[in-house]
Amino acid sequence: MSDDGDRVAVTLAEWPDDADSDEGVVVNWFIREGAAVDPETSLCEVQIEKVSVDVLAPVAGTLEEIVVSEDGEFARGDTLAWMDPDDE
Amino acid sequence: MAEEITRELTMSRAMVEAIAGEMRADDEVFYMGEDVADYGGIFDSTEGLREEFGYDRVMDVPISETAYLGAAVGAAQEGMRPIAELMFVDFFGVAMDQIYNQMAKNTYMSGGNVSVPMVLTAAVGGTYNDAAQHSQTLYGTFAHMPGMKVVVPSTAYEAKGLMHNAIRDDDPVVYLFHKRLMGIGWLPAPDGPKTPVPETDYTIPFGSADVKHAGEDVTIVTLGLHVHRALEAAESLAEDGIGAEVIDLRSLVPLDTDTIVESVEKTGTLVVVDEDYRSYGVTGEIVASVADEAVGALDSVERVALPDVPIPYARSLENEVVADAGDIEAAVRRTQ
Repeated sequence: MSDDGDRVAVTLAEWPDDADSDEGVVVNWFIREGAAVDPETSLCEVQIEKVSVDVLAPVAGTLEEIVVSEDGEFARGDTLAWMDPDDE
Repeated sequence: MAEEITRELTMSRAMVEAIAGEMRADDEVFYMGEDVADYGGIFDSTEGLREEFGYDRVMDVPISETAYLGAAVGAAQEGMRPIAELMFVDFFGVAMDQIYNQMAKNTYMSGGNVSVPMVLTAAVGGTYNDAAQHSQTLYGTFAHMPGMKVVVPSTAYEAKGLMHNAIRDDDPVVYLFHKRLMGIGWLPAPDGPKTPVPETDYTIPFGSADVKHAGEDVTIVTLGLHVHRALEAAESLAEDGIGAEVIDLRSLVPLDTDTIVESVEKTGTLVVVDEDYRSYGVTGEIVASVADEAVGALDSVERVALPDVPIPYARSLENEVVADAGDIEAAVRRTQ
């Protein structure tokens, strides 16, 4: 199995252009730890200044660890979760 | 074997998934209401639909409920399958003739020459300090009138299956979704309504109540938000050895009296929990329906409902009148 070095960070790919704030809150997780997902699957919904944005899986793989749980706050660029990518 | 479901949806996303599925399958299905297109519904009931289906099939309407609910009735009679959203159920009064006299009765009044296959969706419920004109459930007001089916989802799984069934139904269906269950960022849901939801289509038949928690000592009958509060009460009661059976009605019309009576014949005790007003409403109707069929099985009855007062704006006062898990638990203990 992969070690930490092979894990892929889940982050919000594009911060909303019109947002003044550099902080957001995680509203809903749709995938539980341990579940396998396809790339681009919606993993969670975050809210930045009342705007909801979905965070998509960057790769195919398993959602290994949720770092920021529901109602948790995060800053621009923070890792929200870690994925264990499928072997090619 | 069913494929394992790894994703969970909020109730709003489950609703939208069912609507989108029906819109893809049938060009006659369309959605209209206030702020349903560009805004995606103020409680996320149509989030993303306008982007996929465009303004012709997801329509923002002027603030005239009489006009657009009447338009929906007419479109339905001509063979379309409209879904019309009343932004808050509290606003039904301005369109009462369209709902009560046209939507509900036109099939009958036409001698069966037209049917009205429309869905009337509406946001219901309080718990977020929106005061007396934006917090009601009015379950009884809609379930009272013959001609309308009335459904109330409590989880994402129910929301999708009931919506598929509502759109496919050839008669008018009132689909009442509780704001607190939708999974919105500014209005956090309790644990429970976000559930695994199959990606494929499925229907939940109306008139099929669901036993959400099995128990031997007391039957708790409820719907909507209070399913989750009753389940919380059941957990707490279980610690004291009281087994509560929690029945989620899922539809008020048709009413699954069989499931309720079967449970009461086992437990002998009925506690009905409703967020609507106490008088002339759901709690009285459920108790009367059980009494009609199995009065001998009833050893004890409690009703937990909103007192007959306007819903207060102040948080402390609203929390006082809308039952919480503790109120349900106390009602159950009074029966033991």
